Amino acid sequence: MSPALELVHLSKRFGGVVAVDDVSFSVAQGEFLTLLGPSGSGKTTTQRLIGGFEQPDSGEIRIKGQRVDRLPPYRRDTATVFQSGALFPHKTVAENIAFGLRMRGVPAGEIGPRLKRALEVVRLGGFEDRYPAQLSGGQKQRVALARALVVEPAIVLFDEPLSALDLSLRLQLRGEIKGLHEELGFTAIYVTHDQSEAMAMSDRVAVMNAGRIEQIDRPENIFNRPANEFVYVFIGESCCLPLTVNGALRAPDGRPIDLSLARPLPEGAHRLYVRPKQLRIGSEAEVCENRILGRITFFEYLGDVYRYHVDVGGVGLFVDHAGMAPFGPGDQVLLGWSSRDMTVFQ
Amino acid sequence: MTAVTLSEARPARLRVDGRLGQFALLVPALALVTIFFALPAIYMLRMSFNAHEGGQSYSEAWTFANYLRLLTEPIYLFSLGKTFLLALVTAAVTVVFAYIFALYLWLQRGWHKLVFLAIALCPLLISEISIIFGWWMFFPNNGVLSITLLQLGLIEDKISLMYTVFAAIVGLTYISLPFGIFILLSIFDGIDRRVLEAASDLGAPPLKTFAEVLFPLTRSGIVVAFSQAFVWTIGTYATPIALGPDSLWTIGLEIYQQMNTWRDWPFASALAMVLILLVLGSMALTRRLTGRDVTHHV
Repeated sequence: MSPALELVHLSKRFGGVVAVDDVSFSVAQGEFLTLLGPSGSGKTTTQRLIGGFEQPDSGEIRIKGQRVDRLPPYRRDTATVFQSGALFPHKTVAENIAFGLRMRGVPAGEIGPRLKRALEVVRLGGFEDRYPAQLSGGQKQRVALARALVVEPAIVLFDEPLSALDLSLRLQLRGEIKGLHEELGFTAIYVTHDQSEAMAMSDRVAVMNAGRIEQIDRPENIFNRPANEFVYVFIGESCCLPLTVNGALRAPDGRPIDLSLARPLPEGAHRLYVRPKQLRIGSEAEVCENRILGRITFFEYLGDVYRYHVDVGGVGLFVDHAGMAPFGPGDQVLLGWSSRDMTVFQ
Repeated sequence: MTAVTLSEARPARLRVDGRLGQFALLVPALALVTIFFALPAIYMLRMSFNAHEGGQSYSEAWTFANYLRLLTEPIYLFSLGKTFLLALVTAAVTVVFAYIFALYLWLQRGWHKLVFLAIALCPLLISEISIIFGWWMFFPNNGVLSITLLQLGLIEDKISLMYTVFAAIVGLTYISLPFGIFILLSIFDGIDRRVLEAASDLGAPPLKTFAEVLFPLTRSGIVVAFSQAFVWTIGTYATPIALGPDSLWTIGLEIYQQMNTWRDWPFASALAMVLILLVLGSMALTRRLTGRDVTHHV
């Protein structure tokens, strides 16, 4: 069986700017793939190419083996959940949801039951006759979700559907979308810049940057085995310590530093990364394989941890410490980390 | 205690209490409307019942003679009907072009939009008389249109479109177009462009998207643009007389004639009253037509 969606060497420019640069991937039937990246990384353009709202300059798009890249949106078997919802303001909830069924020529007798089922799925029974202006933000997005799902498209496209909602609603709807995906088994391409959303919902995540896919993998591998420096820095928080090898390994202020490395680093500039949760401070640092001295500048209480900001030779690092450590601003402290927790990029 | 301190610390404001106070706020605007609109209109209504005798502009009387004359002499009803038809056609043409122009503007981004907005504004910056002079260069035998068509080989002999109903409608449309464009553009700007994509995404081809989504969302704008063009055209007389045929004797021109040539103020007033009633009627109809879908534009 051919995959639900295939992109083959897809490229798109706007004027002189390359928005999508030779992107290829395929998505299996029922898979939940997230395009994750900062704004301007090409994730939205990639999705708009799939939906048919933009035309690619080169490359192919196939849905269930059929080429669709020259077809207009209304002849592609995709349905989009837009960021703004994009509900028809002059139509009721029921008319909004039934719109796609009518346009796709679903027999009138079938529309009623499918509409009813869709309203149940998004828990909006009883809201049939409301207009979008009479709904809350979360309800609107549920209608948008129902409107897309009810036509049972080959691909459901999500264009940052939760980014306009407040945090608690976002978490709730995120769970609902994931639950519906488990239940209904639709194929989804989900665009977001929110990494926790991407991690929580996806079967696979494609991290995009400057129009290219940096890494496409399971969320666990994206987090634990980043393919490159961009992915490492973009996913999760990290501390960066610039190092130079100039005869000996040196810290930013030129002090020689001793790291426990499997292989010696070549001459030149390097960047060492550690996650703040994996950095140790004070007495805990003394047993670590790698250590460096710094001075505390200030600390913050973040709810679950205390975050100590430490100046190391002019570079700011931060350490997350469960509970308050016996240090204050100005104190000299030892930072330490295990070799298996650090990543060095040249 | 804090709450009390806060409320005491609130700066003193001029407070307007009760119905009388609210009425007092309305007085300046009300006075303006009364002096400049209501009083002349009432004066005109009174004038339309006066008599016209001898060399005088009017003589005090209470008579229905003017309205009777208007209804019995076919020339006036004919003129009214023709004006009505002219306004109807002009308004329809205006709405069609304004809709296309506004839709185009709405879909444009960046400097394109500004350039087209500036072009749309142009007719507003020029007086009606100057515009008429422009058309006099355009429509006659040796005008721009005739020469251009001749040189393009589309016609074999020079033609003049001067003094035709066509020229009058073009001239009228030209003037009412910018208003129509801005009215419709304001409606378009209130629409989330993504709804068009959503419609297409769900399987609606362009014409269906227009009929199902764009048209219903802009209907109120269409009605308002239509009625503004209609109301303006029905009262104007300079453009139709300057560009149209002699037979295009509009009611506005008739009023002017009665007032200034025949010095029959009562009859001119009666004609004007009928015109005002026509305009009011069309505005009432507009309100009825738009009232229904306003609720969705929250």
